[in-house]
Amino acid sequence: MPSAKPVTDFQLTDHRGQPFTLENLKDNWTFAFFGYTHCPDVCPTSMAMLAQVQGKLEQRDGLDQLPQVVFVSVDPERDTAALLSQFVPYFHPAFIGASGDEQNTLNLTRQLGILYGKAEGSTADNYLVDHSAAIILLDPDGAFRAVFGVPHTPDLIANDFLAIKNYYEATQ
Amino acid sequence: MKRSLLTLMLWAWSLCAAADSTLWVENAWVREAPPKAHMMAAYMTLKNTGSGDAVLTQVESPAFGHVMLHKSQVVDGVARMIHQDEIVIPAQGAVELKPGSFHLMMPAPEKRLVEGDRVDFVLTFANGGTIRIQADVRKKP
Repeated sequence: MPSAKPVTDFQLTDHRGQPFTLENLKDNWTFAFFGYTHCPDVCPTSMAMLAQVQGKLEQRDGLDQLPQVVFVSVDPERDTAALLSQFVPYFHPAFIGASGDEQNTLNLTRQLGILYGKAEGSTADNYLVDHSAAIILLDPDGAFRAVFGVPHTPDLIANDFLAIKNYYEATQ
Repeated sequence: MKRSLLTLMLWAWSLCAAADSTLWVENAWVREAPPKAHMMAAYMTLKNTGSGDAVLTQVESPAFGHVMLHKSQVVDGVARMIHQDEIVIPAQGAVELKPGSFHLMMPAPEKRLVEGDRVDFVLTFANGGTIRIQADVRKKP
C-alpha cells in the first residue's frame, strides 16, 4: 500500500458559490474527477460510473458515511457555478462541482498529477479540453491516497476503496 | 395485440431502415444530458455484411443543428476527443460507437431531450447510400 501524499491548501468555489478548499476534504473520503461540462462522452460516462460506485457502497454494511465526489472543472472559463449546479448534481444529488481560476486549478491538478489543456484546433469560443481521465482518491486527512486509471468499473473501484479505507483505519 | 405489432414494427424500423441491405444499425441511443448541457453524444453499432468496406462520412439529424463524428481516446492517461472525417466499417465487420470510443457529438438543442424521446438520424456513406434510423434517448452510464 503506497503512503499518502499530503495536499497543500487550494482555493476553489463549489457549484453553490461556497468556498471549496483543503478543509472540505477533511473528515471524509473524496473521489475527485477532473473534467468539463462541454464534454459529452468521457465526463458523463465517468460521473455516471461514480454514481454507480455510490450505489454499490450504499449497499455495504458498516460504511457510516459515503465518500464525497467532487467534479473539478478543467474549463473554468465556461464552467460557471450556474452551469456546474445543473451538470454535477444531475448524476447524484450529493455530488459537488468545483472550479477556480487557472492558477488555483493548476495548484490542485499539479499536486495530484492531473494534466489538462485546450485541444489543438481550438478557437476562442469553440474548443475541446484534453484532460486526465483518472479518478483520484483522497483520504480524510486531505491526502492523495490512490489513483484509478481507465477503464473504470464500479465494482473494482468500490472494492478497492473499501480495502484502502480499511487499511487506513487499521494504521491510524 | 395491436400494440405489440406496432412495437414490433417500430423495433424493426429502428433496427434497420437501409437503402443498402448489407448495412445494419443496431442499438442506436442518445445519452440524456444534464439540464443546460451544451453537448450530447449518440452511440450505435454499425454492421457491414457486404464484401467491401463501408465508409460513414456524414450524419444529419433534424433534432440537432450539427452532428460530428468523434472518437475519444485515452493516451498516457489523458482523454482527448479526436474529430473523424469518416468511420470505416470493414467488410464483414462491425464498428461499435460506444462511450469512451467512437461516438457522434451534437450541440444540445434548446428543448432538452429526455429519456423516452426518440431522435431521427440520417447516415450517409461514401458510396452515396443513406440509412435512416431512430435512436432512443436513454439515461445510462
